[in-house]
Amino acid sequence: MSASIEALETTATVRPRARVTALSALGEPFQWLLAGALALGMTMIVGFLLLILWNGATALWPKPIHVVTLADGTRIAGEPTRSEEFRPGVERLQVLDEAMRRRIRADGGYAWRTLYRTGNFDFYNDDFRWVTDYEVGALEAPLDLYFVERLEWGPFVGRIAGVDAAGEKLAIGDSRAVAAHRDARRRWQTIREIEQGEIGHVNARIERERLALRRVALDETEASPAYAQAKAKADARIAELQGEYRRLAEEAQRLKAEDERYKATLAEIGGKEKTVRLSEIVRYYPANAVGWIDRLGIYLSRWGEFLVDAPREANTEGGVWPAIFGTFAMTLLMVIVVAPFGVVTALYLREYAKQGRMVAIVRISVNNLAGVPSIVYGVFGLGFFAYTFGATIDQLFYPERLPSPTFGTGGLLWSSLTLALLTVPVVIVATEEALAAVPRSMREGSLACGASKWQTIKYIVLPRALPGIMTGLILAMARGAGEVAPLMLVGVVKLAPELPIDGVFPYLHLERSFMHLGFHIYDVGFQSRNSEAGKPMVFVTTLLLIAMIAGMNAAAIVIRNRLKRRFAGSQF
Amino acid sequence: MTETVLDPAPKVKPRRRVTRRSVLIADSLADWGIRIGGLSVIVAVFGIMIFLAQVVVPLFTGGRVLGQHSFKIVEPADSLVAAGLDETHAVAYTIERGGEVGLYHVASGRRLAVPALDFGGKRATAFGRSIVGGEIAFGFADGTVRFGKVELSAELFPQATLPSGLVEVGADRIDGTAVYSRISPDLFRKTAIAIALEPEQAVAEGRPIVALDYRSGGTVERPVRTFVTVDDEGVPRLSVAETRINMLTRQARTQVSTAVLPTLPAGTQVARVMVSEKGDQVYVADRGGVVFRYDTRDAQAAKLAETRDLLPASASLGAFGFLIGEQSVVLTGSDGSVSVYFRLPRAGSGTSDGFGLVLAHSLSAHKAPAGAFAPSERGKMFVTADAGGVVNLRHSTSEQTLLSLTYSGGAVRLAALGPREDSVLAVGADGGATVWLVAAPHPETTWASIFGKVWYEGYEGPEFTWQSSSGTDSFEPKLSLVPLIFGTMKATFYALLFAVPIALLAAIYTSEFVAPEVRATVKPVMEMMASLPSVVLGFIAALVLAPLVETFISSVLLAFVALPLALIVAARLWQLLPRDLSLRLGGAPKLVLSFLALAAGALVAAYGGSTFERLFFAGDTKAWANGDVGSGGPFTFLLILPFAYVAVLVLSERLLGDWLGIERAAPSVRIGLLDAFRWLANLAVAAVLAALVATFLTAVGLDARGGMVSTYVQRNTLVVGFAMGFAVIPIIYTIAEDALNSVPEHLRAASLACGATQWQTATRVILPTAMSGVFAAIMVGMGRAVGETMIVVMAAGNTPIMEWNIFSGLRALSANIAVELPEAVKDGTLYRTLFLAALTLFVMTFVVNTLAEVVRQRFRKRSAQL
Repeated sequence: MSASIEALETTATVRPRARVTALSALGEPFQWLLAGALALGMTMIVGFLLLILWNGATALWPKPIHVVTLADGTRIAGEPTRSEEFRPGVERLQVLDEAMRRRIRADGGYAWRTLYRTGNFDFYNDDFRWVTDYEVGALEAPLDLYFVERLEWGPFVGRIAGVDAAGEKLAIGDSRAVAAHRDARRRWQTIREIEQGEIGHVNARIERERLALRRVALDETEASPAYAQAKAKADARIAELQGEYRRLAEEAQRLKAEDERYKATLAEIGGKEKTVRLSEIVRYYPANAVGWIDRLGIYLSRWGEFLVDAPREANTEGGVWPAIFGTFAMTLLMVIVVAPFGVVTALYLREYAKQGRMVAIVRISVNNLAGVPSIVYGVFGLGFFAYTFGATIDQLFYPERLPSPTFGTGGLLWSSLTLALLTVPVVIVATEEALAAVPRSMREGSLACGASKWQTIKYIVLPRALPGIMTGLILAMARGAGEVAPLMLVGVVKLAPELPIDGVFPYLHLERSFMHLGFHIYDVGFQSRNSEAGKPMVFVTTLLLIAMIAGMNAAAIVIRNRLKRRFAGSQF
Repeated sequence: MTETVLDPAPKVKPRRRVTRRSVLIADSLADWGIRIGGLSVIVAVFGIMIFLAQVVVPLFTGGRVLGQHSFKIVEPADSLVAAGLDETHAVAYTIERGGEVGLYHVASGRRLAVPALDFGGKRATAFGRSIVGGEIAFGFADGTVRFGKVELSAELFPQATLPSGLVEVGADRIDGTAVYSRISPDLFRKTAIAIALEPEQAVAEGRPIVALDYRSGGTVERPVRTFVTVDDEGVPRLSVAETRINMLTRQARTQVSTAVLPTLPAGTQVARVMVSEKGDQVYVADRGGVVFRYDTRDAQAAKLAETRDLLPASASLGAFGFLIGEQSVVLTGSDGSVSVYFRLPRAGSGTSDGFGLVLAHSLSAHKAPAGAFAPSERGKMFVTADAGGVVNLRHSTSEQTLLSLTYSGGAVRLAALGPREDSVLAVGADGGATVWLVAAPHPETTWASIFGKVWYEGYEGPEFTWQSSSGTDSFEPKLSLVPLIFGTMKATFYALLFAVPIALLAAIYTSEFVAPEVRATVKPVMEMMASLPSVVLGFIAALVLAPLVETFISSVLLAFVALPLALIVAARLWQLLPRDLSLRLGGAPKLVLSFLALAAGALVAAYGGSTFERLFFAGDTKAWANGDVGSGGPFTFLLILPFAYVAVLVLSERLLGDWLGIERAAPSVRIGLLDAFRWLANLAVAAVLAALVATFLTAVGLDARGGMVSTYVQRNTLVVGFAMGFAVIPIIYTIAEDALNSVPEHLRAASLACGATQWQTATRVILPTAMSGVFAAIMVGMGRAVGETMIVVMAAGNTPIMEWNIFSGLRALSANIAVELPEAVKDGTLYRTLFLAALTLFVMTFVVNTLAEVVRQRFRKRSAQL
């Protein structure tokens, strides 16, 4: 490059003509590197999204079942999950015959293998099995193999030998068997409602009576007449509730006894049999015999289960409804807290504060808040909100429950507050920008007409800035919904027995811990017994989370545009 | 404010000029509310910092004295052999040579009546005790020993069931033999002492026993007692008493086997003997500070393994004892010195078992002879006391003196540390005693222990170690933040190494080379990356990317070479196009072509992987990285090649100049060919040069492995770098692009109008102007990488090791907090240390962000002036 400048200079003195653009001045190789970096970035993001979209969308699709006969005669039945190239180790190669070894060596030491989901954890102690291509003897897809989703032990792959409907032997294809299964499922639903819903409700009321009594004991003493009175009352009510409890338990027992009479016999590919209650079977289908319309039906019904049911099998199957609910509740609560604070701070910075050193410090503080790692907020939330603030609340308002903490541990409220702190800079910055975009002339016009400062802000400035503020809030929600690290410290759990909102007084339980989609991904992907079994679940959850966040981002854009249009006409 | 609005109104009409009260009230309310709200943000930032600091501070405050009680001991001080405290420091006890037991109510100093031990009129000549369990042993002049057990029992009584006839003393009540201390309005705890004494056993063939130590171990069905005695002739004996309890008859049969250890040199004045619980080590210390260590793993063939004089000639032995775990030996001297020795394997130590006593910790010395010592029952704390009355509460590992107390009665005879490390007892030579109630909740932490190297038991030397928990009870948590800070920096470094080039190059291209319409679609796509939750990135990195990278590691490594090379080759090919065509296709088609070039590079990487592996990594990258196969030469060649290329480029320009005439002619197909030729020639020369240098370096013995390239694990920094780069790229990209884009348009126009090409304008006008903004972008990206949590939790393997190896895992500060804080006990040492980790992260990002912000503001000011 220095050469080109030199060239330009020397020619300038000699001749007045040097208009040639040298090749190096174009910097083509560098330009290509720049373009390549951009292309790489784009490929990465698009590829990433496609990977998630593909895996998430296909995870619930019913796959065929293959029966693989290995070279040594073992037969394996399972869903082919994925195939990959791998590199057999030395000890693996040694057991192969020479021809195989040569074949692998010819492929550069690589071979292909397929992961079969064999299910039947109760028989095999494993859900999956790798089958290398060189092991395979024969591959077939018999029509009578069923894929059975169960409440326990994961899926079953094999034949359904028969159905025993209260003594009546039925074949699985029989319509009466189908009806028996439907009834069994309905019965199971009823049992669950009684056990978890109604009995849980009764238990909660008994617990409340007990706590109320303990409260009296703490306020007065156990010797006081007030306590004796309260105790008599509480005992009566508890006795009454216990009666109700017994009645419900008996009802559940009766249904269970009925349930025991409907059974199905499952036979795995090797012929081993097992009898299960019909109600334990969530879904079954002959994987190789269903047409694509039926497949679509199964696919949709799985999505339905995923969206509205509770998880089962250590979160690796079933639905994520509690996690969806928890994520929404937490995000909503967060935005309720963050909105006033963010907007007020931005108003202060833009409309009230003198632009001087103070404001500069606040700005740097806001930027620093935005840059503080989220985990630090989590630490702060745990130490301050839960352990300091929450513990004080417990001592003042819930002494009867001590030493088990009520607000003195992680929970919905503290998670929302922690995330509010985390996202407040987003709102402040967005609101400030929106306020700055309101023309000064409008403020001056309003003030000139005799409006007070607050009136001006309320009627002139804020409405115009609303699109920007909304955008900021929604972006904050998107950020908050995707954040996991701080929540791990302040209230997210892998399995929450109760939703934060339910029919038990006071209906909204801010102190409860909750489930979260992001944490669900972490938990199922990393903490579960078999991360392979959880993988489809993780991909679907990921897809859902990303869709939620993308949806919020899209909503931000739509709302901004709509509000902009509404106010566009009224601008000067 | 309202007045200025109202002012212009008057002259027109006598219209109502009063602002409604409600408006005024709302106005002032809003005024105050908004001001308070605004200021609360500053408060929040500093509040977080102050709160974190406030939790951290107790780590470094040492100990406090909460109270002090003094009382008189009845027995003469020089005949006392033992003293101790109970768990709640309600009582203190003393044991005397003649068997008298003194029990004192600490708060009042009253002596309670306790039956004396019946020694049959004999006086003990030696005494030994275990650190935990309250086992005691007495040796007598007739060569017999008696074992016993001191038990301080605690029992709870509701007030109503208290026995009658108690004497009220302060808050407590006492009867003749026990203390009832009030623990809640309605509840009392009874503390009493019970000493069991067994019948005597003869061991030393009738010779007087001068020193004795005793341990009890084994199982409930099969208790094993190990004790060692030294008689007045310097003969040490190790005895093992095994008791077998018949499960049917419940009869116990004890079998004692005694081994005579090699005799001590004549003239040894034995001061102290110690045996380890397993009976595999026996230490004898003489009054001059010489320590004899016996290797008694095989009791019948015991050897004197080591003889060491651990004190200067002028000093004599003060105290000598184990700390809990029996790995550390504490030795104090009459010169006031307090040292802790570890028994470590030491080659060349000249000992028969290959172990040697190594001075691990020297603690601050006493000014007077330090004669009293007492270990803690639960940790590495201990008490030493001297003849001047100074009682020091210390911690072995951190070498700190937590508290320095003064016993007002002068020299201290015996010291004891309460079982909960919350009380210290000193018994003076003057017949008095003092109990201090102390609090030292975090004895193991100092600034030096958290940020410096610490020598832990069983370690070869001082090290940076993070290991906060383990299965065993005697485990000592090792809390050095250095490996975690290192992990954070390592992850950040590799992430930025990956992200900065891509983000910056892409930003320059977007801002300077593409049409506005392309920019309008490209930028939001890149920004979309920013909104991806990091838990998703971490999940994909750990469960999808990590196994893929592991299988195709050679292709991944090749991609680092192949992708840039493919782009450069594409550029050379592009130069062969006729000028008018290349001008016409310069926009979107070029970007599309660069995608194709990338794809070509990726294909080459995918298919050339195994060839590349054979050529450079001896056919097996993982084994190669581990150092098992191949040599480092080819890899060194790869590392040197870029430098060699630059050197060749510069040299050829200096020496040959524009020898092909490329710079003097307008671009054309011929010039393009010539340029390609020149590039290939340079590359070839560079390759030869690099090969020569690499051969030389390999011959000299340099291997590129072992530093940044070493043993491969699946969850490694390469994967973390990818995933975290993914998280950081959009941030750097957006901010850098904004900075580049906000360079005033007239600068760009002027440069182009003067005849500069786009490339020249971008590199010499735009980039220098926007440099500070670009720098800020990198800083913000770095701040994000430092604090990123979920990706490192999931993909980094969480091993707290300190090596730059790109193929090994790491444990970052943030991941460590996320993993360990949920399990940490509130206000415990780990809890506070994790808060310190959070504070460290906070400070790190605070510095980085403030720097970025200052630079960015300067950039804004500068670009506004242009």
